Amino acid sequence: MIYLAPFTYPFIIGAAFMFLIVVWKYAMWFIDLPKEDVQKIKKGIFSKATLYSVWEIFRESLLHVRIFKRSLPLGYMHCSLALGWFMLIVVGWIETIVYLGNSFVPLYGHVFFRFFAAPVLTEHFWILDFLMDFFLLIVLSGVFLAWIKRFSSRLVGIRRTTKHVLTDRLAMSFLWFVFPLRLLSETVTASIYGGGGFLTGSLGELFAAFLPSQLLSSLLMPFWWCYSISLGGFFCFMPFSRYMHIFTEIPLILLRNWTLRPTLDEKSYDKFEIQACSRCGICIDECQLQKVLGIENVQSVYFLRDKRYHMLRLATAQNCLMCGRCQQVCPVGINLNTLRLSTRAIMRNIPSEQRYNYFNGIDRSCGEGRVGYFAGCMTHLTPKIKISMEKIFKAAGEDVWYADSEGSVCCGRPLMLSGETDAARKMIKFNEELFRKHKITTLVTSCPICFRVFTEQYNLEGITVLHHTQYIASILRSGRIALSPEECSYVYHDPCELGRGCGVYDEPREVISRAANLMECSQNREHALCCGGSLSNFVIDDFQQQKIASSVVEHLLLSGAERIATACPLCRKTLSRATERRVMDIAEIVSERLT
Amino acid sequence: MAVKNFGFSISRPRTIDMDKNNLRKSNEILRELPELQACIGCGSCTASCSAGLLTQFNFRKMHTLVRRGEYEGVYKELSKCMLCGKCRMVCPRNINTRKVVLLIKRTLGDF
Repeated sequence: MIYLAPFTYPFIIGAAFMFLIVVWKYAMWFIDLPKEDVQKIKKGIFSKATLYSVWEIFRESLLHVRIFKRSLPLGYMHCSLALGWFMLIVVGWIETIVYLGNSFVPLYGHVFFRFFAAPVLTEHFWILDFLMDFFLLIVLSGVFLAWIKRFSSRLVGIRRTTKHVLTDRLAMSFLWFVFPLRLLSETVTASIYGGGGFLTGSLGELFAAFLPSQLLSSLLMPFWWCYSISLGGFFCFMPFSRYMHIFTEIPLILLRNWTLRPTLDEKSYDKFEIQACSRCGICIDECQLQKVLGIENVQSVYFLRDKRYHMLRLATAQNCLMCGRCQQVCPVGINLNTLRLSTRAIMRNIPSEQRYNYFNGIDRSCGEGRVGYFAGCMTHLTPKIKISMEKIFKAAGEDVWYADSEGSVCCGRPLMLSGETDAARKMIKFNEELFRKHKITTLVTSCPICFRVFTEQYNLEGITVLHHTQYIASILRSGRIALSPEECSYVYHDPCELGRGCGVYDEPREVISRAANLMECSQNREHALCCGGSLSNFVIDDFQQQKIASSVVEHLLLSGAERIATACPLCRKTLSRATERRVMDIAEIVSERLT
Repeated sequence: MAVKNFGFSISRPRTIDMDKNNLRKSNEILRELPELQACIGCGSCTASCSAGLLTQFNFRKMHTLVRRGEYEGVYKELSKCMLCGKCRMVCPRNINTRKVVLLIKRTLGDF
């Protein structure tokens, strides 16, 4: 067989161009990886993690299980396009091997096999024809769903779909035409030479029956040309568009399983995460800024897009609650919050090194004890929580060292959220030394914001860090305090930093159910809503915050509970501004029910 | 003639001449964050301030000075802010004070 036809050139040029660009990109990213990441790769490459990654790549890059769990039609759309196209390639290779044995076939010989083979082949394996047509049909159904999604995303299971930039639109347009053109070219070929499976074969017979053969032969080449051009065009735009995710998800899964993670300082690994985003837009529906306030250009998908194309504005980077709801549903598992933080760190204003020299020698703590209590800035604004905790400590007979009773240095997380990581480290260092100086063994805090930074960023070896709900749960279990339950129902609002941030879901619920009736709302635990008062958002104003808070209260009260319980002073303050009902911290509930 | 030190003196004149001050930066800040004009100068921000508890840092003074075109030393002073956000929670005029801090620092630079 002679594989020479000018119509293959667009495809060959496109494929070669794509290959070069993708390889060059990956090479650059790998070269730029920091040393410790290279070490991790060396360690992980010959381990079980690699085998597991292969399974995960199959599951997520081809089957798209996580999207299926989110929505059936959306999952089918992604799965049909990815798995269908992949199987077309695999069965296509098998087809050439079956028909031609081991003789050499160039790449375009595989891709345009029907064109080259149809005139010369005499016998056909029906199973191969069937499989090829079957997978083509699957892909076509996916393309059809993609079209529908552009017109009405609701039908495909998401309320809003992503708005794309020009390169995306161009690549997408080429992609939309690839498979319909393939169907047409193969059909016309089948109508002239016979062969083909249940789809192309029968359609070909239909064509042959109703269209003059002269017309069919004059259509043959233009169709194959169009098919080749649409393939080539797609490949040309692919590395610069969102379709870069098709390949990038594979190294990302591998690197992630070799324990590489983005950090608060930007590094080369971030590029894998950023370009693995397929801009599916699942994060848009999750975002409360979109749902409640109608802000439509700051969601993670747009943040990653703008960052990738170097058109990120400060207002976009800073307009985020960092509640982590998008990260929870991201089918690619991108660390969206960390990426946003490291980006804010680059865009930060760099103040002088001496700005926090006034920390020197500050120690406004009081009391003596192995247990330290760090109320946190926000708790000082909600003194009821602090007083309740003091009461609980007293009831439990605990000797407590109060770290910040007369003023303190902030934990550092609010500053970190603004991107000033380096300055926040000064606070971290100061507080670490303060805790060590007083030789505490347990550190209790009432503020989930502090709790998160204590567990994630502080080096507190030998000190157990507890959120006050965990502490209360432990003294309740050991019987050091007892409660008289009240006949009142509470719905628990999961604070973002405590729930999704630190994975503390059960202890608060355990404590509430010992003190009163606990009720649940439908969006709880990992899917809990953000109260809106988040310290991470520097853009929205107070009225927008309150609007979010009102929507959250409304949702919480759907559970039928009389009061709202939470475990964060900031959530408590934000939510109580939006409702007449009582919003209480768990410490308050417990201190009221102490016996 | 040596002046006898009575332990008090005439305070330095604190007049701010708005005609002489360059309000360009100040206007820039107010344009980006108009809600700052709603400030009634109650001082709740300063009263609740974590940094103000530990130093002489006075947030109300700082943003008032900036609005009047007195920029000197403000950047250095505002750098003391720990951005904890208590001032925003207590502000009776619902001003996004954390943004005020970041915006002033960004607009003024190290003045």
